[in-house]
Amino acid sequence: MSSDNASNSKQNPIGRFFSVIGNNLKDIGVTFIEGDWKTKLSFIIMGIGPILRGQTLRGLMYLVVEILFFWFLSAFGGKYLSKLGTLGTIETTKKHRKTVYGDHSFLILLFGLLTLIFVVFLIILWRMNIRENRREELALKQGKKLPGNKADFHSLFDSNFDKTLLALPVTGVFAFTVLPIIFMICVAFTNYDATHQAPTKLFTWVGLENFKNLFSFGQNGFGSTFFSVLLWTVVWAFLATFIDYFLGIAVAILINKKGVKFKKFWRTCLVMTIAIPQFVSLLYVSKMFDNAGLINATLLKLGIIKSAIPFWTNPLLAKITIVVVNIWIGIPYLMLMATGLLMNIPEDLYESARIDGATPWQMFKNITMPYMLFVTGPYLLTSYTGNLNNFNVIYLLTGGGPKSMSYAGGAGGTDLLVTWLYKMTINDTNYKMAAVIGIMVFIVTAVVSLSVYRLLPSVKDEEGFQ
Amino acid sequence: MKKKMVSVLLTVAMSAAMLSGCGNSAADTAADTAESVADAVEETADATEEAVEETAEAVEEATEEAAEAPEDADYGTGEIKVWVADNVVDFTNDTIKTFMDENPQFAGYTVTVEPVGEGDAATNMITDVTAGADIFGFAQDQTARLVAAGALEEVAPENVDAIKSENAAGAVTAATVGDTLYSYPMTADNGYFLYYDKSVVTDPSTLEGVLEQCEAAGKNFYMDLTGWYQVAFFFGTGCTLTYDSDNDGNFTACNCDYDSDKGLVALKEMIEVASSKAFQPGSSAGDAVDYAAIIDGTWDADVVKAAFGDNYACAKLPTFTGSDGAEYQMSGFNGCKLLGVKPQEDDNKLAVCDALAQYLTSEDVQLARYNAVGWGPSNLKAQENDAVKADAALSALSEQFAFTIPQGQYPGDYWSNAEALAGDVTGSFQSASDDDLKAALATFQETVVGLAQ
Amino acid sequence: MAKETSMKKKRAIGNFFAYLALTIIVIIWLFPFVGLVLGSFRSYLPEVEYGGIVGYVIPKHFSLDNYRFVLGNETNFKRWYLNTVIIASCVSVLQTIIILCVSYALSRMRFAGRTALMKFWLILGMFPGFLTMICLYFLLKQMGLTQAGAIPGLILVSVASSGMGYYVCKGYFDTIPKALDEAARIDGASRARVFFTMTLPMSKPIIIYTMLVAFMAPWNDYVFASYIAFGHDKSYNAAVSMYRWMNTGDYQGYFTRFCAGGVLIAIPVTLLFLFLQKYYVEGVTGGAVKG
Repeated sequence: MSSDNASNSKQNPIGRFFSVIGNNLKDIGVTFIEGDWKTKLSFIIMGIGPILRGQTLRGLMYLVVEILFFWFLSAFGGKYLSKLGTLGTIETTKKHRKTVYGDHSFLILLFGLLTLIFVVFLIILWRMNIRENRREELALKQGKKLPGNKADFHSLFDSNFDKTLLALPVTGVFAFTVLPIIFMICVAFTNYDATHQAPTKLFTWVGLENFKNLFSFGQNGFGSTFFSVLLWTVVWAFLATFIDYFLGIAVAILINKKGVKFKKFWRTCLVMTIAIPQFVSLLYVSKMFDNAGLINATLLKLGIIKSAIPFWTNPLLAKITIVVVNIWIGIPYLMLMATGLLMNIPEDLYESARIDGATPWQMFKNITMPYMLFVTGPYLLTSYTGNLNNFNVIYLLTGGGPKSMSYAGGAGGTDLLVTWLYKMTINDTNYKMAAVIGIMVFIVTAVVSLSVYRLLPSVKDEEGFQ
Repeated sequence: MKKKMVSVLLTVAMSAAMLSGCGNSAADTAADTAESVADAVEETADATEEAVEETAEAVEEATEEAAEAPEDADYGTGEIKVWVADNVVDFTNDTIKTFMDENPQFAGYTVTVEPVGEGDAATNMITDVTAGADIFGFAQDQTARLVAAGALEEVAPENVDAIKSENAAGAVTAATVGDTLYSYPMTADNGYFLYYDKSVVTDPSTLEGVLEQCEAAGKNFYMDLTGWYQVAFFFGTGCTLTYDSDNDGNFTACNCDYDSDKGLVALKEMIEVASSKAFQPGSSAGDAVDYAAIIDGTWDADVVKAAFGDNYACAKLPTFTGSDGAEYQMSGFNGCKLLGVKPQEDDNKLAVCDALAQYLTSEDVQLARYNAVGWGPSNLKAQENDAVKADAALSALSEQFAFTIPQGQYPGDYWSNAEALAGDVTGSFQSASDDDLKAALATFQETVVGLAQ
Repeated sequence: MAKETSMKKKRAIGNFFAYLALTIIVIIWLFPFVGLVLGSFRSYLPEVEYGGIVGYVIPKHFSLDNYRFVLGNETNFKRWYLNTVIIASCVSVLQTIIILCVSYALSRMRFAGRTALMKFWLILGMFPGFLTMICLYFLLKQMGLTQAGAIPGLILVSVASSGMGYYVCKGYFDTIPKALDEAARIDGASRARVFFTMTLPMSKPIIIYTMLVAFMAPWNDYVFASYIAFGHDKSYNAAVSMYRWMNTGDYQGYFTRFCAGGVLIAIPVTLLFLFLQKYYVEGVTGGAVKG
């Protein structure tokens, strides 16, 4: 039965959505008809009902928000919201030699969206305000006493402590993550680029034009470049994650080996790569592998090679070098983590294996690795998605180079989607395509995460390794 | 202002219509009247506004004319931000101080100088024009990009003729987009030539010779093969690659013939140079090691001097023998650094910026800048100065300039495509057949031509 | 007897190879840092030695010129360094407060929209951060927190979105038995009281871990810092300014000065890290298992 219900509700989300809306509308209607004058007044002046019923704190909150909203709308947001459909029509003009800037498409889009979100927010708050009135009225009808202001205030530190704790973080995430992301998703549907640069030029909506460009394989299309960059991104993340993973565990086992002394010393030496800021160490390493760098110079001096090895200028070699340098970065993390986890493996498992005459390799294969894979499944996933977007290593080592004619949009042989996106933003101010690439990065990350997450042993079977 | 006026008028019209509607019993008549009255009022409002604007403009122009008469004009107050490369910050500060002392009418303005490199300056200006500097130095290849992004104001009409006649022709070309002069030439030393170590390279006249002598001595020969430098080969064999742009900085046409026999000769020469074991890609002496020759510009003169010591020598670029057996002189770009003024919303400030930019690029200041940091002047009179003429690097450069073309405007994608070509020259082209190379040149040409619409 | 000695022999050989491998690994791992330190002692003055990239590690003359340069008045390095310290400290404290608040709320309290919020934040985290740079720039500019105000702007941006990084800390709170909370609540303590007087004192390791990680991040921030501070030298942080020394044509032969600056940056961060390593390991291990 219950599974039937679940599938029903899953099958018909649209129907459910409308029934929720319908219920809400019905409830609003009932509140209005059955409500007293205080409640009815609250439909226009939010919070007036609670204030008149002695719930000053709550009522004032609603009222203040409403006043702030309309002040914002009239003083600031309204003019942006009204232009959101066109993103501005007034061109920048010259009066004699003076420049008179026209509409700022960027700000129109940004603050237009912000205002739009505020409108939605106010509607939700208005609904809450009505529900609050209804609840109060019903409680009073039943002869219950409403909680006083003092109790309301105290609940913010007790039963409603979550609201207090989360208010600031949620606002911060909204303003500096949600709003910008919505904004950039919108940019993907505009022609905002170097030739439509606010405030001098206007940009406007172009529909799916940019997505068509991403998947077009013609002369100036991004199609082939996008897929080769995507391929390298996926391959890179795989190599970076798993090579580091196995080597890291190997090093941890080596240090943990019985009879090896100064364990702490070895660990500390390795951990230096985490401690020293990457932009110092990676920039140094990138110069080390330079054509004129230390490694080439030394090898030349020793006569091992005749001409410099093009570590960064040959596309294939650059890819290999990056993976190798990333081992240098990655092993210490894995070593630290694995050291902690290895100690958790019950010693008697090894004990009984030893009695059965198992070789160290067999024990590693049959006990250590399965255990590690089981517990670190989630880590591997986050590490993989992290490497998909590993900006620092790529950017500081090669800057995405070497470039090749087979790539469009300024991409290079070692570019990940995310470094390509960055270069497009900074060097070409090609914001529209950068936004499209950003959406693609999101899709890739989401697909990988969701599909792998379901396969994880620790998710499939929580009690698996006991 | 405009909006308020219209809305007031509209309200009046509406109430008028309502009043007239009261007399009539039919509501629709009232609405009609209201509409027509509103229309009429709007038109009047527009007309009035235009008139007002015109008057305002006339007044403004009058004020400006008055402003041009120095000393007694009031320029108001303000702040002017200047961006120049780090090594001329001190020099620029001193110069601006002199300028302010000489021009007390600008005393209301404070000028701040920030170190922002020529490459970063353009990028930052484009990111946000309004937060950018009012006066900024940049390399000429950025002109079109800056104009297209609305980050450059035209040079004041009264200064145009003087700038054109006083500065080297190449520098003026570089500062021009379409037929409008957009910036003030500051230097004319953006070009490259050969630095060499006399003790290793005894004859710098042929490229093959230079490479051989470097190989024999186990020393490196540095040359960059990216967009700015690779044209030394292509233009050397007689190819062309230029863009036409309109007044807004948009590219309208591309003249390119890389997909030809001449282009193939040049590309094959590049591949041959890159295959030498003495060859290293790169053009900054600061990052070069163990070299006996480097193709680089005047900005690295001190670094090279320190590396070569007494064996320091400079020469024009060498000649090379192409795969077709003919001998070609390496060519290249000649270019300059420019000083730009950002579009201003205030006429007075614009006048001050114009005057300051004009001063910072005047003959005396260019000469003083050469003496302070060694930047070769673009001003023709300053170029005739004895000290400038005695400079080994600058004279090698000016010798080389005879074989180069003035660098016009190129779209940003040209540089990344050319860099991509350079990447292939050291990579996949090393083992490519002539047909592959021809196909690559055809693709390259098609792509760079496609950048102009 | 014989068997035992052969075992011993075998073990000794095993240990020998282990030590050999570890020694090689450590040499490889430490080499760049040794090179960095040695590079910082090579003079950049042309009459002494050359400050760019050279093909040898050990300087021909030992000199403190680079340190004299970065600590002198020729550059604003001291200012940039101070900026970075200010950013790192503020971010460290504020970010930890935010993360603790979020983690406690999500770990201990059950409220409407809790799982929705967690899922929503998880999805948000899948968007690449650089995507929104230009947008954040204009948002901050509206508040006057770019260029001259870039330092508070950077702090604001790093702190504002930090709530999304609650995973490790929440995982830790989840391991603190809920029974403790409940006992205190029965005695009449409010949620806030439980949070401040019980949970926080028990969370020292995770607080230190969070602060440490938050403190270390700003030292690496080149990308965003350079994006919002452009054109205002005094607002740069150390990473922005030193990246210029390394990768801009205007700064030829600044390699050794970069090394000196790098050493000065690495010292406090490294010391702090090594000193608090224990907590870091705990956080990393715990975070890895919980994902």
